[in-house]
Amino acid sequence: MIATEVTTPAPVSRTDLEATGAVPLLCLFAGAAVWLLLALLLALLCSLKLHAPALLASGPMFTYGRVRAAADAALLYGFGVPAALGVGLWLLCRLGRTRLAGPAVVFVGALAWNAAVAAGVWAILRGGGSGYEAFEMPGSVAPLLLLSYGLIGICGILTFRQREPGPLYPSQWFVFGALFWFAWIFSTAALLLLGSPPRGVLQAAVNWWYEHNLDTVFFGFAGLAPIFYFLPKLTGRPLHSHYLAAFAFWMLALAGSWGGIAVGAPLPAWLVSVSLVGTVLTVIPIAAVAMNLYFTLKGVGPALEANVCLRFISAGLLFWVVAGAQQVVGALPSVGALTDFTPFTTAQRDLFRYGFLAMTMFGAIYYIAPRLAAAKSGAPDGRWKGWLAKWHFGLMLAGVVIGYFSLLVAGVWQGVELQNPANSFVSVMRGSLVGLRLSMLEPLLLTLGVIAFLLNFALLLRGCCPCCRREKAIGPEPRKEGV
Amino acid sequence: MNNGPLIFLGLFVSMAISWVTFVLGPQAQLADLQQAKTVAPLPVSYPNTPPGLARQGEQVYRAAGCAYCHTEQVRPAELGSDLARGWGVRRSVAHDYIYDQTVMPGAQRLGPDLANAGLRMDAMAVLPRLWDPRTVNNLDAGHSIMPAYKYLFDVRKIGRAPSPDALVTGSAFAAPPGYEIVPRPAALALAAYVASLRQEVYLFEAPPPPGSPAATALTAATNAPTGGTNAPAGGTNSPAGGSGVPALPGGSNAPAPQTTNANVK
Repeated sequence: MIATEVTTPAPVSRTDLEATGAVPLLCLFAGAAVWLLLALLLALLCSLKLHAPALLASGPMFTYGRVRAAADAALLYGFGVPAALGVGLWLLCRLGRTRLAGPAVVFVGALAWNAAVAAGVWAILRGGGSGYEAFEMPGSVAPLLLLSYGLIGICGILTFRQREPGPLYPSQWFVFGALFWFAWIFSTAALLLLGSPPRGVLQAAVNWWYEHNLDTVFFGFAGLAPIFYFLPKLTGRPLHSHYLAAFAFWMLALAGSWGGIAVGAPLPAWLVSVSLVGTVLTVIPIAAVAMNLYFTLKGVGPALEANVCLRFISAGLLFWVVAGAQQVVGALPSVGALTDFTPFTTAQRDLFRYGFLAMTMFGAIYYIAPRLAAAKSGAPDGRWKGWLAKWHFGLMLAGVVIGYFSLLVAGVWQGVELQNPANSFVSVMRGSLVGLRLSMLEPLLLTLGVIAFLLNFALLLRGCCPCCRREKAIGPEPRKEGV
Repeated sequence: MNNGPLIFLGLFVSMAISWVTFVLGPQAQLADLQQAKTVAPLPVSYPNTPPGLARQGEQVYRAAGCAYCHTEQVRPAELGSDLARGWGVRRSVAHDYIYDQTVMPGAQRLGPDLANAGLRMDAMAVLPRLWDPRTVNNLDAGHSIMPAYKYLFDVRKIGRAPSPDALVTGSAFAAPPGYEIVPRPAALALAAYVASLRQEVYLFEAPPPPGSPAATALTAATNAPTGGTNAPAGGTNSPAGGSGVPALPGGSNAPAPQTTNANVK
């Protein structure tokens, strides 16, 4: 495979370049989508338990706390990281005009990662979670996660290094940054929380620092990379300002990595203050990105609607801005006093993870996957079923918006009501149940959306049968090669 | 911005700043936190290692994901109504957690804060809440949205004599005639853990609220020599600790300020 292609001196076509990475990247996307479906089903079960606490309560496995933890783990590690890696690697290939380095290594890494996530989610449901939110993966699984991430990440860095010489595009910085960031924060959290847990609240400090960095910086970088690539590309507008993008990038790395500690936390006051300052400063990168893309897209108008990829990505950008702004507002002591520990924070988190991360990733995958499938099979461009993709978008948008506002209102209401100590806690909880229960529509609609996506994805892969056969050839049955 | 190694360097420095601030900094300050003497009501060592059963219960708490609905942190009086609600007598501070194996301060309250659950109920009162929170006879009877943890109990036929651990069942959650509800070891451990959660003593960094009886006693005892208002300062400046302070009524509080200055800033 390599020998024939290396000898051709003529510039290689884009299709040839993309064929190299097709199998591992499609594998990452497929795994991510299946995990998202599972995460949503678990989240749906959690929501149902708010309607009927007795549901599936006869055994320990499906108790609320475990299902909640497993849903988070499946969303973050099953969906978020592989999707971010797949999209990021593709962007590095596309923007560097190069092949994916070590596709077989990426493929093995993807399989190992998915196996580790499966083992981790299973362990959490069996009661083996670590007890640290957003980092529930048990100690037995974390090394495998880190190792398989390393396999994929190193290939990403090699791909970056073998790019064609020339100026770097902002998306490349973002992917490059994300690749390192996850390795750093995950290894820190694994060593400190699972290896040798520090004393007392230090565990909580590390946990909050990890969760904040995972969302704000790692997923932030990973999601902004496709936003910066696809919005200008698909609308045919050059990016308004590379300087502004660079400024946002560095501000996000600096300020975005400071935060995650609520105002009342039992930690030294200076740490709480530093966290607050960092969180408030993220206003700057948010404004910089929003301004940059606003000037890029100014006057594009209905063209944003024409293409399903653009719809997903522009919605993702909008939700990133809103979620970021809400994070800043919620960090302020006067607001946090009301909204901390209420569904207000859940609303923000879900908007970030479903509205920003998942929608951006799907937007990118809608562009990338058919090209990979086509490049692999040599057939003309694969085609999504347009109506399925539109349903997917509509369902996701509706789910995210309904979920966001119902949780937001429930959270603010709870916060205000709880200020008065005469209102009993349980009565306030019950009063806000309307919102909490309504938010069940979010995982429900998103589940339907992801099912539409998976159907579409299966049809896409079926549409290029040679591709499927070659995918199998990587497995233990190479004899099918000649078919 | 076209130089890979330079971008790497910038990223590394950004991460290093964050890491030093949020991971190394608190580590340097709090890693050696030891038992402290409380400032009120009596100078005793705090906290103490929890009993073994409570330690096991902490793992049950972790495994069941209780922290997804219950926090274990009381915010200071100016933030929220935690104190006014009776969830604690003071804010939670770093000292309260030094003997936890897995620290689970929680991030969401679908249920009440449990940092001082042990002040509100003993283990025997926790068990019925685990069996079925809606049958508990209190103000909110029947309205809790907490799931029942019936899998932590055995419903079994009463043998020759009733089990000593069996729930003393009220009418609301009686077992069928001839049967009894017996908590499994995990339930007993979990109840012991919840009942062990109490942060009722005052520390240097979490003094009694001004105006409370404990605060009055404390200032009376420690401020007599200087007349200052900063209670702990008087005690630590005097090498002899509390012994230099004139004995006043309630003077047993006097040595208290000689406490945690070395550990906590």
